[in-house]
Amino acid sequence: MNKPIRIALTKGRLEKDTVGLFEKLGFDCTAVREKGRKLILPIPDGNLEVVLAKANDVITYVEHGVCDMGVVGKDTIMEMEGKFYELVDLGFGRCKFALATKKGYDFYSGYGIKTIATKYPNVSRRFFEKKGMDTEIIKIEGSVELAPLLELADGIVDIVETGTTLKENGLEVIEDVAPISARLIANTVSLKLRHAEIDRLIKLIEENL
Amino acid sequence: MRNYDLITPEGTKDLLFGECIVRRNIEKTLFKLFKSRGYCEMITPGLEFFDVFNLNSQYFPQENLYKLTDSKGRLLVMRPDSTMPIARVVATRLRDAMLPLKFCYNQTVYRTEPALKGRSDEIVQAGIELIGSELKMADLEVISTAVEALRSFGMEFSLEIGHIGIFKELVSHLEVSDNVKENIRKHIEAKNFPALNDLLDTLGSSPITNALKKLPALFGGEEVFEKAEELMPDENIKRILDELKEIYHDACEICDTEGAITVDLGLVNKTDYYTGLIIKGYLQGHGEEVVSGGRYDKLISEFGYDVPAVGFALNVNGVAKVIEKNGVFPSMPKADILVYAVPGCEVAALKAAQEYRDQGLIVENALFDDLDSARAYAMEMRIAKVVVIDETGEDEQE
Repeated sequence: MNKPIRIALTKGRLEKDTVGLFEKLGFDCTAVREKGRKLILPIPDGNLEVVLAKANDVITYVEHGVCDMGVVGKDTIMEMEGKFYELVDLGFGRCKFALATKKGYDFYSGYGIKTIATKYPNVSRRFFEKKGMDTEIIKIEGSVELAPLLELADGIVDIVETGTTLKENGLEVIEDVAPISARLIANTVSLKLRHAEIDRLIKLIEENL
Repeated sequence: MRNYDLITPEGTKDLLFGECIVRRNIEKTLFKLFKSRGYCEMITPGLEFFDVFNLNSQYFPQENLYKLTDSKGRLLVMRPDSTMPIARVVATRLRDAMLPLKFCYNQTVYRTEPALKGRSDEIVQAGIELIGSELKMADLEVISTAVEALRSFGMEFSLEIGHIGIFKELVSHLEVSDNVKENIRKHIEAKNFPALNDLLDTLGSSPITNALKKLPALFGGEEVFEKAEELMPDENIKRILDELKEIYHDACEICDTEGAITVDLGLVNKTDYYTGLIIKGYLQGHGEEVVSGGRYDKLISEFGYDVPAVGFALNVNGVAKVIEKNGVFPSMPKADILVYAVPGCEVAALKAAQEYRDQGLIVENALFDDLDSARAYAMEMRIAKVVVIDETGEDEQE
């Protein structure tokens, strides 16, 4: 048997959705379900090896080719970019990037430079660059919603799923930035050197989405 | 102020002992190969004017260049590539030289990479440039050199060919802005099928958009050509496809290794000055291509001399990494003899050591003031023989 295809999954919800998908394909994912604290787990009947990692690290491992494939959100891909193939939109993990402000705030008025708080500085910078708008971008690590409330920022660019957090804090979406969903990515060399195996897996996945 | 006197800049490293041997072995092997095919070495300056890399078509985004200024305040860059300087030389000093010109090189290129990503900013590239021939034979010559280069490392390899003309022809039929074309290219390069389909759907359905949608999936072996032939709507593209297919067949025959030659019609990288054939080479166990090249018939004309060319560069650091990972680590050559001089006999010892060297042995002079320390050193360094030189002459000890 060939060396297994190593696939990095973003820990958490995307991991669960992907394992669900693998089970739908008929793979036995017991080892992943009962993982304990292990981080590398086999799916023997798919000749796969699952690696559990944080979203950004999924991209890093795939770029370097130490993992052949990965499942990661479009949000992370947009923020990190990098050199890999983005093969399939898996359809789960759906949400969006949006620009939000305090309710009723007229964001586009006046000539002053607006301040944006975000966990995604690259996404934000590109969004405003496209509009030809100079903005000041401040990176926030935790709950970005705080920044406009504390009057550090005029608006935020963040992931919005249901909008409940925004609403409860008196914020509202004023513009969508980009839709987000989980993506299947592959290392550029792995796809070429293990074409047949990866192709088979992708076909199987696409049939079951 | 912080001192950085004990570390090297991000993206650079010192090489020691076996690491140097691995690297020099690769370089030696490649140079022997290139020279056996009649390529002459060219060495270009590490510093170039920014303008050399800032032609109309900006192949190297300025944010990825190491820049500095000369004493007159003019903008310089650390060479990010060897092909463009060689193109500059050909278009100036070698404008009247007989064609074809065949050059090889082995030099460092510098590009800024994002920090903390485990990438090098300083990469040694060895490669060839064949200037002045449009013939298929020139393409085959370069392909076969690349195959031999990859084969020389004794690892599983694969050489991939493509042709940028197919993409260029297809998008030339689309009536959309350059911006949209660039987005199409980006999605094809990333084999980002969802985004590519969405974008092309907005342009309506035609044989062109249909072919563009399939382009990133057209990679693999022989079967790619059958699939592509059905899709391609245009006589020009069919002609390119036929040319590529011939090259593919010839390359398979030259290489004579099952599955080692592949084709990808979705190779459409941006920083490429390529106009026709594109080649990429991969080694099993390395996550990035180690060979990158192709035909660049219009590049030298940007320096004012219209002449076709084809070539490739090989990433020596990448190859070294795979070799080291596979544990084929050569040890340093050991000295055969340690010569110890009794005080007062230094000159005699140095002369004796030279005589041994003239016989082809590796000889070290002992730098200790007593024989016991010299013996201990020889033990540690696994030097088989210690020769003691005193007033009476030589005394060998195993």
